[in-house]
Amino acid sequence: MSLPAHVDRVISLAPNLTEIVFAVGGGNRLVGRTSYCDYPPEAKAVAEIGDTLHPSLERIIALRPQVVLISTASQLEIFTQQLQNQNIAVFVTDPHDLTGVFRSIGQVGEILGQQQQATLVVQKLRDRTNAVEQAVKQKPLVRVFYQLSAEPLYTAGHDAFVTDLIRRAGAISVTAAVPGAWPKYSNESALAAKPEAIILPTGGSMGAGNSNVTEALRQSPAALAGRVYKINDDHLVRPGPRAVDGLEEMAKALHPDAFDK
Amino acid sequence: MSSTASNIVTSPARQNRVTLRKTVVSCLALTIALLLSIVLMSLIGSEQLPARASLCALASFGTSSCGLTRDQFDILFQIRLPRILLAAAVGGSLATAGAAYQALLRNPLAEPYLLGISNGAAVGTMIALIFFGASEWTRPFLAFTGALLATLAVYRLARGRAGATPERLVLAGVIVTTFLSSVIVFVTTLMDATRIRSFTFWLLGDLSGTSRTLLPVAITITIVGALALTLNARSLNLLMLGERDAFDLGVEVGRVRVVVFVVASLLVGSSVAASGSVGYVGLVVPHLARLSLGSDNRISIPAAALGGALFVIVADTVARTIIAPRELPVGAITALIGAPLFIYLLKRA
Repeated sequence: MSLPAHVDRVISLAPNLTEIVFAVGGGNRLVGRTSYCDYPPEAKAVAEIGDTLHPSLERIIALRPQVVLISTASQLEIFTQQLQNQNIAVFVTDPHDLTGVFRSIGQVGEILGQQQQATLVVQKLRDRTNAVEQAVKQKPLVRVFYQLSAEPLYTAGHDAFVTDLIRRAGAISVTAAVPGAWPKYSNESALAAKPEAIILPTGGSMGAGNSNVTEALRQSPAALAGRVYKINDDHLVRPGPRAVDGLEEMAKALHPDAFDK
Repeated sequence: MSSTASNIVTSPARQNRVTLRKTVVSCLALTIALLLSIVLMSLIGSEQLPARASLCALASFGTSSCGLTRDQFDILFQIRLPRILLAAAVGGSLATAGAAYQALLRNPLAEPYLLGISNGAAVGTMIALIFFGASEWTRPFLAFTGALLATLAVYRLARGRAGATPERLVLAGVIVTTFLSSVIVFVTTLMDATRIRSFTFWLLGDLSGTSRTLLPVAITITIVGALALTLNARSLNLLMLGERDAFDLGVEVGRVRVVVFVVASLLVGSSVAASGSVGYVGLVVPHLARLSLGSDNRISIPAAALGGALFVIVADTVARTIIAPRELPVGAITALIGAPLFIYLLKRA
């Protein structure tokens, strides 16, 4: 499906894509968003089309978008097909690392004819990323456990984009090799991995539910040393521009001495 | 079924002694198998532990580390063993409750999960989680309340002018189950995103969140509940003849019904509060017990309690090891084993 030369009506079906649209300066052309899309604050003025998993096809069609942006391939193929039958182009992106996020920003910029601003945004994000990576380069790698939720215990696996963020922050996720993006993880394997630090994504739009270390890790080196860090989940689970905020926050928590100047 | 029951009615003292001996022997055998499975399944997990040292530590009841490292010792005694004990309590509870419902309602399909009683307990647990999140004690209490209300609803719905026929009961169960499922969907909208994910996994039946506070509660309720229902097994035998006949034979039908409803709701409530809705246990295990040991409730209820514990321990070992270090919900395994086995049993019967 080819894109119209000038796109002026676009719908985003994921919070990270909404953030990207605004970041590249296309916010005024966003005509629909999901109920999860709460950033930047201006996004809330845009019409809601349901949530990421259950978008209302009728409302999407009624909003007459030229392009619908979808974050992962998880959305039903039938759904994509129905949109294409309505002559609506679908852009699917599924970044597994920060490089992928930068690529998505470039692509959305291109779709909206905002290449220049997109390039600028990506350049700034790249500079900040490089600064973090430089700062932690000489530091010993910290073995990190990423606790997505405590009961039951969920973590970040090989395909999760936060696994790449952890690596760039001068650490290594003890579950980096586990297949999948968000596997449910064995309590005993978590304990046996002896993490030196624990990251709790919490306090953002996912609520404050995940603010205690799971029982199995209460005696881990990380918990005993007090190296448990709460970081806004919106910065860690949304593969958008604010992922670099998450990277900075994580790196500063894990390697405070690399930044105190 | 009726011939066995009439044997019991007319049974002389000798027959009672035979039954008692059969009960003792089969329960003893099952208890040994249960203890063996607790020990053996403690040796299996996503982390490899040295078998000899683990056996030695288990034999010392955790008083000696037998050369296990601190982490290995914690894995064995803080994570694996409590989870296995919870699996035993949950399996024992659900199978006992299933056996009692089946006898009282004279319906082989009466099962906590299929009658919607597990869903009632799930709604109770959700309410406890949302409104009294900090207090773990409210969970089994509200789960029990939910299970009891669901039981009463199913029973009232099933009772027509002609009494509760098996068909009416199953239909009532379907209605209560689907109604409560939609209540669950509505209540999840009150939860934040993290909770919803945890909750959907929990709904399928999951033993990974073994709580230190609730484990002793669950074990106590299972043992007391199974004993209480076994003590009422003779009345349940007579009830299998029909409520009127049982009444004529001196059974206090109303009292037995209240005992079964309350005790079974307690059993289902405490296991759902601890582990979500683990399905098919209350169906498959009592059927197996009756097929192999006969339909006398004095044998089949305690046998179901022990067999249920055994069944869920094994199912959960599969759930926590088959894709290690990732995990599956145990409910998926019990259904995977339970549904085909149930079809096989139905065809054989």
